[in-house]
Amino acid sequence: MLSKITVAPAPHIARSHSTQSIMLDVILALCPAMLAGMWLFHHFAVVLLIACIGSCMLTEWACNWIRRKPNSLDDLSAMVSGILLAMSLPPALPYWAAIIGSVFAIAVGKMVFGGLGCNVFNPAMIGRAFLTASFGTLMTTWTVPATMDAQMPTLRPDAAIATTQATPLAWSKEAIKGKTDASVVAAQRWDSFVGQVGGCLGETSALAMLIGGAYLLIRGTISWQIPVSALLAAAVCATIGFLINPARYMSPDLHILTGGLLMGVFFIATDPVTAPLSGRGMLIFGAGVGGLTMLIRMVGEYPEGVMYAVLIMNAFTPLIDRFCKLIPAGGKVNG
Amino acid sequence: MTQDRPIEVVPHPEAVAILLSQHTGAICKPLVNKRDRVTVGQMIGKADAFISAPVHSPVAGIVKDIALQSHAVLGRELAVIIETDPQADTAILPACDHFKASFDESAWSAEQICDAVRNAGIVGMGGAGFPTPVKIEPNPKMPRDTLIINACECEPYITCDYRVMLEWTHQVIAGIKLARRVLGCKRVIIGIEDNKPRAAEVLREVIGPAGEIEVVIVKTKYPQGSERQLIRSLLGRTVPTGGIPPMIGLCVLNVQTCAAIAEGVVLQRPLTHRVVTIAGRAIAKPGNYYVPIGMAVGDLVQHCGGLTDPAARVILGGPMMGMAIADLSTPITKTSGALTFLTRQEVTEAKFQQRQTACIRCGRCLTVCPEHLNPTRIAHAVKAAKMDIAQDYYLTACIDCGCCSYVCPAKIELTGYIKTGKVLLARQKKTIPS
Repeated sequence: MLSKITVAPAPHIARSHSTQSIMLDVILALCPAMLAGMWLFHHFAVVLLIACIGSCMLTEWACNWIRRKPNSLDDLSAMVSGILLAMSLPPALPYWAAIIGSVFAIAVGKMVFGGLGCNVFNPAMIGRAFLTASFGTLMTTWTVPATMDAQMPTLRPDAAIATTQATPLAWSKEAIKGKTDASVVAAQRWDSFVGQVGGCLGETSALAMLIGGAYLLIRGTISWQIPVSALLAAAVCATIGFLINPARYMSPDLHILTGGLLMGVFFIATDPVTAPLSGRGMLIFGAGVGGLTMLIRMVGEYPEGVMYAVLIMNAFTPLIDRFCKLIPAGGKVNG
Repeated sequence: MTQDRPIEVVPHPEAVAILLSQHTGAICKPLVNKRDRVTVGQMIGKADAFISAPVHSPVAGIVKDIALQSHAVLGRELAVIIETDPQADTAILPACDHFKASFDESAWSAEQICDAVRNAGIVGMGGAGFPTPVKIEPNPKMPRDTLIINACECEPYITCDYRVMLEWTHQVIAGIKLARRVLGCKRVIIGIEDNKPRAAEVLREVIGPAGEIEVVIVKTKYPQGSERQLIRSLLGRTVPTGGIPPMIGLCVLNVQTCAAIAEGVVLQRPLTHRVVTIAGRAIAKPGNYYVPIGMAVGDLVQHCGGLTDPAARVILGGPMMGMAIADLSTPITKTSGALTFLTRQEVTEAKFQQRQTACIRCGRCLTVCPEHLNPTRIAHAVKAAKMDIAQDYYLTACIDCGCCSYVCPAKIELTGYIKTGKVLLARQKKTIPS
């Protein structure tokens, strides 16, 4: 009986959560958005999700196998990356492009750095950036949600292109250029909230993203700093634009409801690995994400800026961490 | 739980092993030889250094050996092993009956109290084991205005201080009054957690309406029993990093230490016995026991009905900071407030099944750290043997509370790495031999 006694460093008890349970929480929080995607885009959503999740997990397994490392699929981080990538792609993107993006996301975005916990950039955003650079047209082809049109477009590329529409942010860009009025987007306020607009698979429905984000905040899976400071920064920037010229710049609530901002602040920017450690650092990081997104949307050439905003701030994370070094409770030590 | 189990006197075992290092400071030299006869309370080890405390025999008997014994912290350390002589030995009972509400500390001068505390070998019984006389002796460089009595248990599972407050109330108050007399403090505060309302009530009753001693209720949270955290909760003041409470005019004493002071000064009885909480699901009879210091953990296990079947871990101390021991001959010391016996289930849920992953930088360890440190940065610096970075992030300011390891979802032994780092650092500076 005594031989069963073990020794280990203190503490001898621990909270029951784990890396796996945190990832599972994120997956659960993404469920409303996944269901909304399936409701809006039918089989497009299913094909994209299966292609991204499958190839992300397969790539992670293969990379571990090549490096003779233990299998790390059970931490579910590859699955989260797969879902996030699928959610940030245009619904009609061909499955082969999604697979290329997934392989790049995991292999180059994560595994070359050493796997979970070591990557500098958000893997899903790396995959999406790669696809944007490689397949520009496919990545800006927005399918009309099935709920809006009696005829659901088929998977055939020509058919998909035939039934596309501009996203609210594309309209916003046109308004900024002076070709139309920002009130065009304002008319789509309710549709943007439930998701009946063109856009990426997961980001069209603001409602689904808010439900997921609230779940993560209530569960304590993500801390409040990044979403709050990012949304505040975005709202401030949008308000300034709106006050200057409401005909060209749309109102802050529309900026928050449309595009990938909500998904970005709740699911992408809060990826702990690529965000700063301290609360103060998170506030700076979030403000950077919100501010850069609005800068790209309102001044830049692209209609949407969440992806590049997150990637740019990811690069600043080590710097922010160093800048926000914690001061011990008892104060700094002299000398 | 054990909070409703009265303190039970444990009969003396056949042999005790009195470790010569049970405190912070210089290790004692043995004052007795092999085959010497010793009496109850006889001083058997002493060091001349200022920061040290003598050790005494809790039993009457014959010195069998002076040999190395398992020590929970230091590995192996010299101990005086005494075989109890049943003819000569007498049972030692708690001294609480000698103290009444009418206790008057002015019968003793400050010097008398200091000498008595020094001779009785009293050390901080909450866990750190810092010699008490050094703490209470007048020091013109660091005048102290407030005496804080730490009546918060150090950790979950531990209830010995709670029982002492309930059952030895007069003795504890007598000890507080004696300490106050030496220190000359104007203000005395007893800080007690809000999960011990009965103890607070009993203390207030004994103190009476005069209100010379304040009883302040603080929130029950871990690590409230850590002196730095308790000071912050009570006074909103912060002990400087790397500093000690007297630097900001405070003296913090544990309740059992106060009881020992009363016993040492009034009855001239040295510190040879203490109350130990035996807790956890893996022991047949958990409770609070009055144990001779030097009794082997194994003997105590036998007295408490033995281990139950799925016993997985024997911890000298509580589940958060206690040392897991493999050798049941390890003796109880002056600082052993608890022995925790955890079953596999109690540990398993969190520790055995879940695989360790890489740090996902979630920052939970930073959020919970009561000293506002960056545990993951320090731990990973230690892991990579980059001691300069670890020091830069205030490795030595860590209080070893274990909160970071407790919340870590990646199951990284952050506290373990940080403790290792402190030992490595001490070796680099050659303050301890490698």
